[in-house]
Amino acid sequence: MDPFKIFDCTLLSKMSGLRPAVNLRELRDRVALCSSNVLYHHFCETPLVPLFDYPDYRNDFAIWARHHLRDEILAERLGIIDPYAHACLEDLRAAVLEIIDDHLSERTMVPWAPPGRELYFMESITVVFDTGERIDHPDGLAAAIDKMTHGSIYFHFLEARRRPPLGLDDFTAWLETLSGDQRSHITAIASIDFPFYTLAEIKKTLVSVLSNKEPFA
Amino acid sequence: MNTTIQVYESVVGRPVLQQLRCLGEKLAGRRVVHVNSTREGGGVAEILNWMVPLMDDLGIDATWEVMHGTPEFFATTKAIHNGLQGFTADISPRAWEHYRAVNEQNAARLRPGLEEADLVVIHDPQPASLLALCPRRKGKWIWRAHIDISHPYRPVWKTLRPFVEHYDASIFSIAQFAQLLPHPQFIIAPSIDPLSEKNIDLSAQEIEAVRGQFGLDPSRPLLVQISRFDRFKDPVGVIQAFQLVKKGIPAQLVLAGGGATDDPEGAAVLDEVMEKAAGDPDIHVLLLPPDAHRTINALQRLADIVIQKSTREGFGLTVTEGLWKARPVIGGDTGGIRLQVINHHTGFLVSTPEGAAHRIRYLLHHRDNMTAIGNIGREFVRENFLLTRHLRDYLTLFFALLSGETENKIAV
Repeated sequence: MDPFKIFDCTLLSKMSGLRPAVNLRELRDRVALCSSNVLYHHFCETPLVPLFDYPDYRNDFAIWARHHLRDEILAERLGIIDPYAHACLEDLRAAVLEIIDDHLSERTMVPWAPPGRELYFMESITVVFDTGERIDHPDGLAAAIDKMTHGSIYFHFLEARRRPPLGLDDFTAWLETLSGDQRSHITAIASIDFPFYTLAEIKKTLVSVLSNKEPFA
Repeated sequence: MNTTIQVYESVVGRPVLQQLRCLGEKLAGRRVVHVNSTREGGGVAEILNWMVPLMDDLGIDATWEVMHGTPEFFATTKAIHNGLQGFTADISPRAWEHYRAVNEQNAARLRPGLEEADLVVIHDPQPASLLALCPRRKGKWIWRAHIDISHPYRPVWKTLRPFVEHYDASIFSIAQFAQLLPHPQFIIAPSIDPLSEKNIDLSAQEIEAVRGQFGLDPSRPLLVQISRFDRFKDPVGVIQAFQLVKKGIPAQLVLAGGGATDDPEGAAVLDEVMEKAAGDPDIHVLLLPPDAHRTINALQRLADIVIQKSTREGFGLTVTEGLWKARPVIGGDTGGIRLQVINHHTGFLVSTPEGAAHRIRYLLHHRDNMTAIGNIGREFVRENFLLTRHLRDYLTLFFALLSGETENKIAV
């Protein structure tokens, strides 16, 4: 049995090179043009960037629509997008553009952000560290996750879905390679409605479902 | 000042130090030179004072060089500094020529070390033209802008831009402070040192001694704003907010700052503050010496609420300090304060004295919320704004530039 290798990671943020958006039409144009790394950053890397952990929504576009365009309907429509439900980032881009185009067609005026509240398009370099720590047996998974940093949770549970095998977290991928019946663990992990959790909540839920405890008891 | 990284383990935990050591191993022996314009005073010198020894402790051959200049040079760079921040600054062709000449003199002195270095970090505009004066440079050069250059006075930026656009990368504190440049631009937020005199845990006796020293009443709520007497920090607005609070709650206010008396604008603001505070024994205006770090630390810990009601702000490290002391912060809705103060979670953003008064009264009537908000704020700072994160970002950038990986993912 190959042990599970625990990695940690951090993000280094950089500017995308795109001009900031000051209104919804500019957001639409930038989303259409930006690289997939930019899209990924604003939808999937938000749990790790130095922003507050409990925003109203889990992606930057919905937060900007809500707080700076003051467009709650658009915020709600963008906020419910689950980036992990899309097969690839181009599908995600198409879904975002569809929502914005629909919304623009319904509005008589394009919503604008006040000065100083522009949306800056960013991307990140993911820096991955091998912690040197290993999990030898699935029975030790919950205890090991309980000790992991938020960076490790992000890397193994969220970022993993971008790597082959696509759409799968590292814990499940590892359990599937093991002999014996790992179905209960795999089913438990699959039951987590993770896109709307913070990293702390994901960690707590993983530990609880893997040890058959109530997550927030 | 702490010169070993190990002492931070008790504050940030082992995994954070593990990341730093991992990066240190990859960069061991690399020659890194920082260049700025002063050894003492100001935020940049404060950062380099801890960063260079800690890089050294991690195995990197880090050094710090300081520009030598004339009073005319520093008057010009002060004007450049103001111009980059959007103030009208008419700099004559002769002054620009002198700026170049002083950079040339410094290049003659520093060139061998700079051209041999693996990485050179040029801080702010004063040494910016050194890059062009080191044509045989072997390493990567980074321009670090510590100020907000998003809306510069155009003539100043037009002249400076050709000096900085040839760097390999630049660093800004927050995205809103950046200019578009033809090289990768990284965002690295500033930080506080949790073990410095200004932030280290203090004994209850020491805190109480400061309370006694300034005649503060332990039985009444205390509001504290620590900042220079500067119009952009809006100390008069804080007094107006306090007067609105006092109508309902018998509170006390401390406005503490220092070093403004030799600044004509600062002295005028201080006079105005003293006039507004006159006759109210519950307003304590304190002029503190530049080294009163432990006193500031104690005042922030004595506060029920920390205020930073700026109308214009850089990152706002006094906000970070207040959050680190587990205090809710009432902050002006501007600059980097917006990244740190989140309504109902770490404090409240306000735009007027009335807004500040409203939020202060709300918090003082909801003590349980204050405790919860304070605790969230402290953990938010621990995760994002301590010097270990700041150092890690620099080392990651160094590693990325040296390995040529600035696109997507790198394994350390």
